[in-house]
Amino acid sequence: MFFKKYGDIVVGIIFMVISAAMILMALQLPKSAIIDIGPEFMPLVIGGITFALAAALTVISVIGLKGKLAALEGEEAPDCDYKRVISSFILMLIYVFVLQPVGFIISTLVYLFLQIMVLSPADQRGKKQIIQVIIIDILFTVIVFFLFRYGFKIILPTGLLNF
Amino acid sequence: MESLQLLGQGFMTVLQPASLALMIAGVAVGIIFGSIPGLSASMAVALFLPLTFSMTPTLGMNTLVAVYIGGISGGLISAILLNMPGTASSIATTFDGHPMAKKGEAMKALGVGIVFSFLGSIFSFIILTFCAPLLADVALQFTPAENFGICFFALTMVAVLASGNMLKGLLAGMLGLMFTLVGMAPIDGTARFTFGATSLLNGFDQLPTLIGIFAISDILKTVESMGSGKLQTMAVKKVKGFGFSLKEFVSWLPNYFRSAIIGTGIGILPGIGGSTSGMLSYVTAKKMSKHPEEFGQGCPEGIVATEAANNATIGGAMIPLLVLGIPGDGVTAMMLGGFLIHGLSAGPLLFVKNGDVVYDIFAACMVCSLIMLIVEWTCIKGFVQVLKVPKHILLPLILVLCCVGAYATNNRIFDVQSVLLFGAIGYLYHKFDLPTTPFVLCFLIGEMLETYLRRGIMEYKSFTSFFQRPIFDVFFFIAIAVLVWSVFKEVKASRAKKTA
Repeated sequence: MFFKKYGDIVVGIIFMVISAAMILMALQLPKSAIIDIGPEFMPLVIGGITFALAAALTVISVIGLKGKLAALEGEEAPDCDYKRVISSFILMLIYVFVLQPVGFIISTLVYLFLQIMVLSPADQRGKKQIIQVIIIDILFTVIVFFLFRYGFKIILPTGLLNF
Repeated sequence: MESLQLLGQGFMTVLQPASLALMIAGVAVGIIFGSIPGLSASMAVALFLPLTFSMTPTLGMNTLVAVYIGGISGGLISAILLNMPGTASSIATTFDGHPMAKKGEAMKALGVGIVFSFLGSIFSFIILTFCAPLLADVALQFTPAENFGICFFALTMVAVLASGNMLKGLLAGMLGLMFTLVGMAPIDGTARFTFGATSLLNGFDQLPTLIGIFAISDILKTVESMGSGKLQTMAVKKVKGFGFSLKEFVSWLPNYFRSAIIGTGIGILPGIGGSTSGMLSYVTAKKMSKHPEEFGQGCPEGIVATEAANNATIGGAMIPLLVLGIPGDGVTAMMLGGFLIHGLSAGPLLFVKNGDVVYDIFAACMVCSLIMLIVEWTCIKGFVQVLKVPKHILLPLILVLCCVGAYATNNRIFDVQSVLLFGAIGYLYHKFDLPTTPFVLCFLIGEMLETYLRRGIMEYKSFTSFFQRPIFDVFFFIAIAVLVWSVFKEVKASRAKKTA
């Protein structure tokens, strides 16, 4: 609901901040000695346009906010499972950072199991389903690893399992 | 006549057992990816890309073409059966396809969709084969000024794409442009916005960015609504052949030609893509029809229009890809990656240096369409089974494959991490109701735009001398006109909204 109400204003402000930061950083870039437009030219142009557009969006949304809030009055908030989204994202985040040091096989085995458990509906978490998930998990991980290693000659990070 | 001869040789290469087997596999995988919502044609191509590393250029490109064609066409299956467009291209297919399925005519709807997908592709490939070389001759005379003009023109398509909520659409694109600035600047190699990190010096790779924006954000989006975790399927009435009569087929022909032309034309314009061409030809077919009220109630003509158009877009999109090296959408951007991997530089010189590969691709396109027709028709029941795989198991597997695909691009873990970054951006875009297509389009074109601008200015000394080149003028002023026209329409629409 928050996104529907104030989303545009937030977008406008975020983009204004990003573009302002970019303009400031671009001004510190060295000028080119050879041609008129150096490496700082495009960042300045893009930053400037973005800032103008973002400012326009913010102003328009602030002006229209009252009408929008009135129009959204009484509307039901859409059903959104943020618990699952955030826990999945944290899992993914951990996964991509341990992938290199721990290795593909171990981290994928653990990640896949946890991720499937997080996403499983409540009635799918029985003993039988867990065993099924573990089998899928192991088969998939091992097949992908060796398929890439021997099939496509791409060695995925081995990490702790040193072979 | 020379092109016919080369095309013949192309067919000879393509029809060899190894290549044929790979193409059948490619089409099948593409169809599966296309038919599963959340798995797109661009993802299928992205995942197949590393697999082509060890193949010969011809074999590799043919496989990618197969995946591409399968992926675009596969979307119709889930669009019709589940009212969920498997790919963005098949959005408009749901309008009439699903009502038909509800009436028990799912098989007829699928039959119509498959046949016109095939015919749509073939139409555009004929245009591609016989017009692309002509366009290549023209393109050989292009200088950085003209290329800048084209990139600029493609960028203004963002404004057209974003119509309805232009400010947000444009902003969505600007962030894409910003990301292209990270890394070493073109020409002089000055490090920009790297914050001292060496992995940022090369900038963000295209492939991980696209996988993140499309696939990872799609996964997060689907997770949002993970309630029951299982998909449902529908009872299907059996039919003979493709489910429609010759008389019906003939009556659909004008609609088919119109839609295929729209599809090919839109495909040539960079950055618009199959979803728009499908919608546009659907709207046109409805406008031209004698019984427009039947559209949306389960009218096969609606499927004819969208499927012919979205598949014709493939051939259209390959014209700028092959001739100018400009990708028209996410999938062709992946194809461009494929060219680079095999040491081929897409663009005018491709026809001079690797003419054989080009005609092999043309031949592969046509053969793949035929394979698609056969595979889809024989395996429809199998595809329905794949759609039954519970999402809570499928999505994590896809995520791992995405990470592996990103890692395989450059063998560095940074790309895997950037996949997640762009996944988060894609998801936030979805939450803030910002379209991702402008972001992707801008990200793909941004770097070229800057390179050509600066290279052109080095060559011609000043920007004003760009205007002495007529082709540049044409693109530049059309772009300005498109921009002005879009803004005008936008302002008018918002005024009308206010008074109403």
